[in-house]
Amino acid sequence: MKDYLKIAWRNLWRNSRRTLITAASILFGVFFAVAMSSLQLGTLENMIDNMVRFYSGYVQIQEKDFLDTHSVNNSFSVDDHLKTLIASDENIIQSTQRIETFALAGSESNSFPSMILGIIPEKEEAISGLSKWLGEGEFISSGSKDILVGKVLADNLGVSVSDSLVLIGQGYHGISATGIYRVAGLLDFPLPDLSKQVIYMDLANCQEFMGLQGKITSLVLMVHSPEEVTAAMERLKPALNPDLSIYSWDEIQPELKNLIEGKVASGKIVKGLLFMVIGFGVWATIIMLMHERRRELGVMIAIGTQKFRILILILIESFFIGLIGVISGVAASFPLVWYFYRNPIYVTGKMEETYRTMGFEPVLKFSMAPDIFFSPAVTVFVIFALISLYQFYYVLKLKTVEALRA
Amino acid sequence: MNVIEIKDLVKIYNSSEVKVKAVNGITVDFEEGEFTAVVGPSGSGKTTFLNMLGGLDRPTSGEVKIGGINIWELSSKKLIDFRMNNIGFVFQAYNLIPVLTAGENVEFIMHLQGKPKKERELRTRELLESVGIGDRIKSRPAKLSGGQQQRVAVARALASKPEFILADEPTANLDSKATTELLELMAEMNRKYNTTFIFATHDQRVMDKAKRIITIEDGKIIKDEEFDQ
Repeated sequence: MKDYLKIAWRNLWRNSRRTLITAASILFGVFFAVAMSSLQLGTLENMIDNMVRFYSGYVQIQEKDFLDTHSVNNSFSVDDHLKTLIASDENIIQSTQRIETFALAGSESNSFPSMILGIIPEKEEAISGLSKWLGEGEFISSGSKDILVGKVLADNLGVSVSDSLVLIGQGYHGISATGIYRVAGLLDFPLPDLSKQVIYMDLANCQEFMGLQGKITSLVLMVHSPEEVTAAMERLKPALNPDLSIYSWDEIQPELKNLIEGKVASGKIVKGLLFMVIGFGVWATIIMLMHERRRELGVMIAIGTQKFRILILILIESFFIGLIGVISGVAASFPLVWYFYRNPIYVTGKMEETYRTMGFEPVLKFSMAPDIFFSPAVTVFVIFALISLYQFYYVLKLKTVEALRA
Repeated sequence: MNVIEIKDLVKIYNSSEVKVKAVNGITVDFEEGEFTAVVGPSGSGKTTFLNMLGGLDRPTSGEVKIGGINIWELSSKKLIDFRMNNIGFVFQAYNLIPVLTAGENVEFIMHLQGKPKKERELRTRELLESVGIGDRIKSRPAKLSGGQQQRVAVARALASKPEFILADEPTANLDSKATTELLELMAEMNRKYNTTFIFATHDQRVMDKAKRIITIEDGKIIKDEEFDQ
């Protein structure tokens, strides 16, 4: 084996330019694939994180029909059993109670449908850091009778801090829910969809507004990362009261899941095209390489080298080139990904508008998850290995006497 | 004693429209220790004949028996092993493995034979010294002259202790001095190891050294002469 390694290594450097070009093709493949994967994953994770923190949480417990009806009639009370269950699960790092309902918000000049979120302000702050989006005014606290309004909604309604808003909705069991509330602050969310419809109020205030004494519509649970969601749900589900259901973030927001799947699929197509272009480049180099070595291979076979020995030699050479390309690709992409991971790109101008219109936070984030390096590296290496099989085909088909004439 | 027995050897190449009989029914024997030149004009079939004799090009019909074995009845894997153990090759363009040193080129075939390292090293040194380039054992082919490369090729051909060596135009790329030296060397190896040498050549200097000259024309032997050297 030592001799094979020696010959293979020397073969690599007999035409160092060609070896470097081949390794560089692999390097660029890995580099761009890592950068693309990092950007895609980072941006998607950010999108999920935003939506999860601001809206759904990673896991929600709801009354079993609430997801379909979105009616406050399908609300529930958090009993001691449920509290103990949540508190004893070590993967659940935070939890909060919410009421999620709809009402018509009216000002002097306008009225718009709005999403009312009854929250425990301190807990919500701990989960989503809600107050950092406070553009004007002040944040609310538990027991407050004031409300927080999304900036876009406030603009549409023509209200600002200290103005009053009338909320009209349908409360528990059809009671009329009506109230007038002072605007304590305006929330300038990065997610325009939230900003144009959301109104936050203290949970107790909201319960009073909707006639939901002691009841909530959602118990929001946070785990460390999306990977822990399934395990947490599997632990909680059997212990829940049969009137309750437990959902993951993507069940609550299927449109977000579809969007993410669409983005992942389009990313795969782009990466597939990138791999194809690089694959053809490497293939062309390999064809050239085999053509140049045709006579030498013929001589080796003529003097008594079995073809399988030549295949081992080629396998080692390909492994070396692949390894050099993949390792340099990962090494080259690491600083770039690290830099943008630390310094996300904030999109401005027309692009920012486009992002906002589409409901996304106008920021490009990069991920440093190990898989964004590992997966493209393995994929490119496997593609290279498959292309290298052409060399096997070439050697197995090689006719010694014709090769000697080359 | 006959080392090689060839009977009714035929090679037909099928081009798109015509069939070309490159070798047309050659029957001939070679004995141990021969130093034979196969001569003839270009396209006469001498290289094709040598390739079939060396197990490189399958004949259309006929037999090539070496040490009593019909080599074209062997599987391709066994044929490669047979070549490794029984036939040495010297090519016109030297055809050394460029990434190996002179010593490693000679050692390579013994490595394939599975000889122990010490034996390989000893024989490599002995062979390179006997072909007069013991001091270039660590040089790569690109650092050697044509004559030196062909000497390494001869040493490589002898390394496996073959029954015979086939040399296709071994002097074609060499200058006059290198040709004379190489021929002297091969004649000496022939005497020293009693190895059979069969050359395909047009080179008069090779013919002058040969103990037997077989002339081929249109794929047939037209003359087979033996000389006392």
